[in-house]
Amino acid sequence: MNLDGFSRLAGLVLLIVSLSPSYLAAQQKPDNCVGCHTALGDERLAEPAKHFAEDIHAAKGFGCVSCHGGDASDAEMSAMSPAKGYIGKPKGTKIVEVCGRCHSNASFMRQYNPALRVDQVTEYYSSVHGRRLKESGDPKVAICSSCHRTHSIRPPSDPRSSVHPLKVADLCGSCHAEAKIMAQYKIPTDQLEKYKKSVHWTLLSVKGDLSSPTCNDCHGNHGATPPGISWVGNVCGQCHVVNAELFEKSRHAKVFVQMGMPGCASCHDNHQIFETSDEMLGLGEQAVCIRCHSAEDRGGKSAAAMRTMIDSLRKEYDKAHSILLKAEHSGMEVSQAQFELNEAKTALVKARAAIHAFSVVVVKKEVDPGLQISAKAYTRGLKALEELGFRRRWLVVSMAIILALVGAIVVKIRRMERKEQ
Amino acid sequence: MAQWSMGGIVDRRRFLNWFLGTTAGAFLFTVFYPISRYLVPPKVQESTSRTVTLALKPADVKSNTGQIFRFGSQPAILVRTPAGELKAFTAVCTHLACIVQYRNDLNHIWCACHNGHFDLNGQNISGPPPRPLEQYVVNVRGDQIVVSKGA
Repeated sequence: MNLDGFSRLAGLVLLIVSLSPSYLAAQQKPDNCVGCHTALGDERLAEPAKHFAEDIHAAKGFGCVSCHGGDASDAEMSAMSPAKGYIGKPKGTKIVEVCGRCHSNASFMRQYNPALRVDQVTEYYSSVHGRRLKESGDPKVAICSSCHRTHSIRPPSDPRSSVHPLKVADLCGSCHAEAKIMAQYKIPTDQLEKYKKSVHWTLLSVKGDLSSPTCNDCHGNHGATPPGISWVGNVCGQCHVVNAELFEKSRHAKVFVQMGMPGCASCHDNHQIFETSDEMLGLGEQAVCIRCHSAEDRGGKSAAAMRTMIDSLRKEYDKAHSILLKAEHSGMEVSQAQFELNEAKTALVKARAAIHAFSVVVVKKEVDPGLQISAKAYTRGLKALEELGFRRRWLVVSMAIILALVGAIVVKIRRMERKEQ
Repeated sequence: MAQWSMGGIVDRRRFLNWFLGTTAGAFLFTVFYPISRYLVPPKVQESTSRTVTLALKPADVKSNTGQIFRFGSQPAILVRTPAGELKAFTAVCTHLACIVQYRNDLNHIWCACHNGHFDLNGQNISGPPPRPLEQYVVNVRGDQIVVSKGA
C-alpha cells in the first residue's frame, strides 16, 4: 500500500471512530451537573450523581441533561433555567413522557439496542397502573422509575438490576405486599407470600431456572394487569402448552367460564402453585376434583378411574424399575430392559398430562402401552434375578464338590503314607 | 469282625477312588465351562457406558432425520441436520425425563410430553425444559458411526 492509500485508510478509520456515539459522548463538554452535585456536600443532591455513574444510560454516553434538560456546560445556576429546557425533577406522567421520548422512538433506539421493544409507554397506559395515573392522576401507582429505579437503571439481564428475574417478585411485593399501601385499592396483599411457596419460585430461586415465571410473566410487565378468567389458560399455556391444549378442548373449559372459574387456577391456584402430584386427582383428601364432584356423579367416577389407571402405571413402572435396579446392582446385564423401560416412564408423564382432557379414554390410551412395557421389563428383571439365584445355588454346589475333593485328597494322601510305612 | 472290617476298608477305598475320579471330572468341568462361555459371544450386548458403535451406516442416516439408539441403558438420539452434519444428544428430556424425538417439519428436537423444543445444538429454546440436552461426540470411522460421551 502506498502512502496515499494509507493516509486515506487512516482518514476513514478516524471518520468512523469520530462518528461513534461513545466518541461523541466523550467529546462532550465537562458535565457540570455531576461536578456541582457531588461538590456541594449535600448528600441528598450528591446521591443521584453518584448512582448515575453505574447507570446503563451513562454507559451509553447520556448525561443528566438528557432527562432533566438544562445546560451541563454552564457552571452557574443559570444552567437550570427553564429557558435552557430545564424541567427539574419530573413526576407522574412527566416521567413516562421523558422515558418515552427515547424509548418510544424506534429509529433512535435502534442505534443503541435494535432488539429492544419501543411500545412500553403504550403498554404502560393499558396497565392498571397506567390507567389509574392517566384517569385519576393517582400519585401512588407504579411508574417507570418505581421499578427501574431512577439513577441506577440496568438492563434486566444484569443480576444487579432491580428488574432481574430473581428480584421482580420482591420488587412488585414492595408495594403489593404492603397492607398500608394496598388498603385504598382493596386488593389482597398475600400474593408475594403465596408465590414464594410455589414451585415456580423454587425453580427460579433454588434451581436457578430463570425461565421459571415470576410476576411479569403472567401479568405483563409494562402492561401489568390481572389475567382475565377466560384467558388464564392462555397465560399458563405459554409454557404448559400440551396441558393447555387438552384443557381447551375438554368439556371443563366451557363450564369453567360459565361458572366464572379461572381455568388452570381453579385446580392449581394462581400464586401458590405447588408441584403437582397424583394425589390431586380422584376423590381422596388432597384431590381437587372433589371440590366440585362426588363419588356418585359421572365426573367423580371418571376422576376415580383415571386415578386408578395412573396409580397402576406408576406402581408397575416402579416395580419394574426397582427389580431391574436390583438386578443391575447384583451384576446382571439388564441395560436393554432398562432402556425399554424408559418408554414406560414417558407413557406415565404423558398420561399425567392427558388428565387435562378429563377423559378416561384419552388417559387409557397413554396408560395401556406403559403397562405392557412395564410388565415386559419386570419379567426380564425377574428372569435376571432367577438366573442370579441359579448361579448362586450352583456356586454352593460346586464349592461343596471342591471342598469334598480337597477332603478326599487329604484322606487319600494319608492312606498312601500309611501304606508306605 | 476282621473280615467285615477288611471288606469295609475295601469298599471305602473303592468309593474314595470313584469319588476322586468323578470330582476330578467335575473340577475340570468347572474350570473349562467358564472358559468355553468366555469364548462363545454372549446373547446380550456388552454394556456401553462411554462409547457405542451404532448398527447404522452413515449413508443410511438421511438428511433432516433423527433416530433413537441405546447408549448404555439410556436412550440417545442421532440427528442428521439439514446441513448434512451428524449430531448426537441424550434423548432424555431435561424437564420430566420423557424420550425426545426429531421433528423434520421443525428441523429440531421436540418432546411430546410437554411440548419442549431443543435446537440442533441441544439448547432448550421453548417450553418447560430447564436445561439443554447433553451433546455427545459423533465420529464416523469408515462405515461405522461411533458415539462417545465427552471428557
